[in-house]
Amino acid sequence: MNSLVKRRGFYYALAVAIPTFYLYLQSSNVTTSVFSIAVTFAMPLALAAMVGIMCERTGIVNIGIEGTLLLTSFVAFYAAIATKSILIGFCIAMATGVAMSLLLALMSVTWKMDQIIAGTILNILATGLTSFFYIQGNMLPNMFKQKPIPGLSNIPFFGDVLFKHGVLMYLGFVVILTLYFALFHTSWGLRSRAVGEHPSAADTAGVSVSKLRYINVAVAGAIGGLCGSYLVLELVGSWNRGFTAGKGFTALALMIFGRWNPLGALAAAMFFGLSQAGANQLMIDGTVNIPPQFVGILPYVMVIIVLAISAGKVRPPAAEGQPYEKGQG
Amino acid sequence: MFKKFKTIAVAGAVAGLLGIALSGCSTAEKAISEADCGTENAFCIGVVTDLGKVDDKSFNQAAWEGAQAGAEATSGFAKYVETTDSKDYAKNIALFGDKGYNVIVTVGFLMAEATVAAAAQYPDTKFIGVDQFNGATTTNVTGLIFDEDRAGFLAGYLAGNLTKSDKIGGVLGMKEVPPVRKFGEGYEAGIAYAAKELGKTIKSSVIYHAAGDTAFSDPAWGASTASQLLGQGFDIIFGAGGTTGNGAITKTAQTAGTFCIGVDIDQWNTVPEAQPCLVTSAEKKLVKGVTDLIIAANDGTIAAGNFVGEVGLADYHDLSSSVPQEVQDKVTAITAQIVSGELATGVKP
Repeated sequence: MNSLVKRRGFYYALAVAIPTFYLYLQSSNVTTSVFSIAVTFAMPLALAAMVGIMCERTGIVNIGIEGTLLLTSFVAFYAAIATKSILIGFCIAMATGVAMSLLLALMSVTWKMDQIIAGTILNILATGLTSFFYIQGNMLPNMFKQKPIPGLSNIPFFGDVLFKHGVLMYLGFVVILTLYFALFHTSWGLRSRAVGEHPSAADTAGVSVSKLRYINVAVAGAIGGLCGSYLVLELVGSWNRGFTAGKGFTALALMIFGRWNPLGALAAAMFFGLSQAGANQLMIDGTVNIPPQFVGILPYVMVIIVLAISAGKVRPPAAEGQPYEKGQG
Repeated sequence: MFKKFKTIAVAGAVAGLLGIALSGCSTAEKAISEADCGTENAFCIGVVTDLGKVDDKSFNQAAWEGAQAGAEATSGFAKYVETTDSKDYAKNIALFGDKGYNVIVTVGFLMAEATVAAAAQYPDTKFIGVDQFNGATTTNVTGLIFDEDRAGFLAGYLAGNLTKSDKIGGVLGMKEVPPVRKFGEGYEAGIAYAAKELGKTIKSSVIYHAAGDTAFSDPAWGASTASQLLGQGFDIIFGAGGTTGNGAITKTAQTAGTFCIGVDIDQWNTVPEAQPCLVTSAEKKLVKGVTDLIIAANDGTIAAGNFVGEVGLADYHDLSSSVPQEVQDKVTAITAQIVSGELATGVKP
């Protein structure tokens, strides 16, 4: 199975690399620009998908990602304005994410509530709070600016695409890679996955199911805070109601598309971002006159096709969505 | 099991209550209160926003400001309801219709159908459809429409005269919404006109948001798309489409040596983040249009059909010094020709 996945991954990479190289030879500036923008489209979705993966891998369904992004981006914006420091804004947003996650954990682990309802509560709460407290006409003191990484940013193509972004973008990459490594190559990861697949077995082996679920969901909240901060403090620079425009829900699809694997979800998000940037490029060049609606549905159609092809091979963590009762199962 | 149910019920109830408590609804109360609506001594104006809030820095806000000004002028009473789901258009209109409001202002092209349907249901109420071309024969609906192509043309003409890289871009909402398309096509026509006049080639690229549900509320998409244009040497960005467009001009403001152009209302004060690049806005004089129509409704002089409001470019504000006097003069001259109809934009209505 593992070698199959690896071989498949290799083919996918090849399928992207060859046309990219061809396009790069045709027009290096445009190709670089499209990929670089694709990364900015992809990062918030990828990070949001990480929130989902962190939760679901330990058996907690989190459909409140959208709410987490909305509230943390809101808090990042206003905390940065109030304290005149984007760094403090970022930290408070992370703390807010953790707090929201703890609420989710309280409802779904301690109270053993239906997790879909718990997530919905987060979404409603975030929409209500942010809409009510929103005051327009405020401006950020500054933003996380583009900081090319010395040396690495001089690499042709990859330097421009990956190493000419802001600090939060780099942090996002670090988080995703770390999460991948931690989930599949550390004892914490093994325990987390065990809790998500077969909690009673993990319990028997001496792993505290509730404690691990609390910790992982809290970390997921911090990642949500990073994502919200990236959106508002680095990408856009302003906040308005409904700011996140459904990214938290798209992320759920990408998480499944990426088979609950951080690198898979990153690839899925990149694919999505590339479609968006590519669609834009078609409109910029105007060489092909395709209706924008058609270009716009492209990513969604491709997701459907890919999901249809891989149907049956995609399996969520077995204990997902089920509250764990000691002594049962 | 019962305990679990109770917890869920309590949590649900708390969330619900919060939702109700937080869904704000403000009124500009004068001596008259809502209870007087439908009687002789009260002139009541209700505003139903399109998806989006009444402080969206764009036309929901302008319509509400117009309604408030109208209420002031007629000593009436104005109230708004914000639409959160397009399925609620009829329900929200009925909130005012059932109470006997004299005028109901519905905001946005997407509400046209619901407005005409409601007009038949409430024959004594005058309906003002902002941004709605009224093709129906209903006698109590007046569509407040604008020649967006003219406003877009002026924006494009100015951009064509300001660009240094000879590449001009636009980040717009959904193309299926006629005003958005007319803004975009007018903009491109204006750029082409300026290019011809200056005897050079200017590349113009207008990008439309494709997704229907978030087309006007996706600032992150707007910002990324603007980055893509800026990264390829485009130096002027026109942002038109709710907060999506605002995201685009906010992003443009972060790149030195660029200009951006706002839309619908003068965005200088409403999107302060964009001030470093905001040279002007392609403005529909919405506040004035709504106010005039409300006053006309009060006088009884309002006519069914369509009312074409004014368009133009907003003030240059602090960027006035970046626009050479010669260009300003040319824009003024072209504005006069466009407004009078002497110069056609060539955009299909």
